[in-house]
Amino acid sequence: MRGERRKRDGRIEWRRWDPTKSKVAAALQRTKGGPSELLPQTGSTCLYLGASSGGTVSHIHDIVCGAGNHHGGQVVAVEISPRMMRDLAALAEGRNGLVPVLGDARCPEMVAPFIRGRADWIHQDLSIADQAETFVRMAVAFLAPGGVGLLSLKAASERASDGDDDSRFAKAERILGESELEVVERIDLAGLEEQHVVFRCALGAL
Amino acid sequence: MIETRTQDKTCFHEPLPLKREPCIAVPTDSSTIRLFQRDSFRTVQAEMRSGWAVKIHYDWRLSRVLDEDGNVLDVILWDARRTPSTLAERLSMIQAGRLLPETRTLLERFPEATPDPLGAMSDPNWPEPEEGEANLLQEATTILAKRGVADAAGNIDRRLDMLVSATAELRSAWTTNEARCVEWAGLFITEADLDNQRTKIPLAIADAPNIDGAATALGVAPPAHAPTEIEWAALKSHASGVVTSSQRLQEHEDAIREIASDYIPSLSALMGPLGAAKLVVLAGGRERLARMPSGSLQVLGAHAAMAAHRRGAPPPKHGAILFSMPQVSHSPRWVRGKIARFLAGKASIAVRVDHFDGVPWDQEQIDGINGEVEAIKAKFPKPPKRG
Repeated sequence: MRGERRKRDGRIEWRRWDPTKSKVAAALQRTKGGPSELLPQTGSTCLYLGASSGGTVSHIHDIVCGAGNHHGGQVVAVEISPRMMRDLAALAEGRNGLVPVLGDARCPEMVAPFIRGRADWIHQDLSIADQAETFVRMAVAFLAPGGVGLLSLKAASERASDGDDDSRFAKAERILGESELEVVERIDLAGLEEQHVVFRCALGAL
Repeated sequence: MIETRTQDKTCFHEPLPLKREPCIAVPTDSSTIRLFQRDSFRTVQAEMRSGWAVKIHYDWRLSRVLDEDGNVLDVILWDARRTPSTLAERLSMIQAGRLLPETRTLLERFPEATPDPLGAMSDPNWPEPEEGEANLLQEATTILAKRGVADAAGNIDRRLDMLVSATAELRSAWTTNEARCVEWAGLFITEADLDNQRTKIPLAIADAPNIDGAATALGVAPPAHAPTEIEWAALKSHASGVVTSSQRLQEHEDAIREIASDYIPSLSALMGPLGAAKLVVLAGGRERLARMPSGSLQVLGAHAAMAAHRRGAPPPKHGAILFSMPQVSHSPRWVRGKIARFLAGKASIAVRVDHFDGVPWDQEQIDGINGEVEAIKAKFPKPPKRG
């Protein structure tokens, strides 16, 4: 990432993960549960919807794949903007196991050909209306039983007719609750990322 | 004549195969391996079971026909030579919602089966990736991603966006610089007419060897005070900058005119190519403009007024682009809203004609529209009474 801080500790290199720039990092700081419950397992299959230029994706890739993908993980990163994909594709060239997909993250069929099976970890970060509906559709299609689903909900992207921020969050929570998913935790990112809430979801027993 | 395309370009659509009477597919010879010369696919016919073929699961490596219990009825593997670029072709086929050749062959053999693009992912018996397949996929996806990035330049909407935005930025810089240049020159050359000779002043300064020469070029008396040598150099280079950016602005706008007249001919005929291009850029592309209600088109470029309207202010009658049309801006205040609404409706139809491959409007239709605008004006010759 541009301007990021690194430090070297023998053979191990550490990269600073900035919670004001990455919603996943912010959620890790704000969660009331164990931070590791929000993160994917090493070597697992991950789906990142709305990858942008790959800032957070690079950290997820570090955890899941490691250098040269010696853990054998897969991170499928979906992004619709060619401008962002330019940076993401360059990032993927040095990172084995990171699969850049240029396409609409709202269509399961766009993503399915690239993912090697159901995903153990899904994060959706899209600036569109109907984020909750989209997340339900994608998580039901892709999330593996026992997997972690994270929805970063940006209130400002939802329709103005849905009322203020709180009622938009409440509406999203209701949509998630009425679906096949189960909301495990609602993480408010105020202070790190304004107007954002991360919903941690799992496939429910429904 | 408007032709509408029903296909939504933005999302996946695969026409489902026609429902046919179910039939039990009985391969003639069970447990055989055949080689198809024609398409070089290896066919593995699994052991015959008595189930109905219901689904076809597929990914880029293989396609399988399954019965309702998940038993495999037939399989075709992709065993052509595997290169990243051939795989990239196959992946983009699946992504576009088209069927792979193997899947199509299986569909011909089992017409009652339904291809399920998401099935393979959740299939517990789907084969694990083999050695080297992850790397092949990695290379193929990088090819696809880069091709997608390269294809963005083929998108006229993006090119218009660059041109229109560059022009807007250039024009705002030009306005400031040109005004400064005229004022600066006018400070010295006091006899010049800053209104009638305005366009000549930057040229005269840029071409003259000194301030006296510039005054002579403008046909007036030399100034009482001359700038110092280095000050004159600064003024002269400022003026050349204005002259260059005038030319650049001209080139930019010519490029927009050329593209817009080809890409949105009807809308360009109605409101001029520059205004038409600005509308497309504001809407975020021709397709989005074509799918936009004409009420939204009417207020494009009136963001602040729309935001104020949401807080209770009266609604805007027109956005910046529609207002730039003389039919709106040169009409009496009390008919502007009516004319803007009428023209927005016509502009909406025009862009739909352009986007959905209709016959572009000619001058006759534009004249008809302008006639109707005059009729609106004639119908309301006096301002409404305030009460």
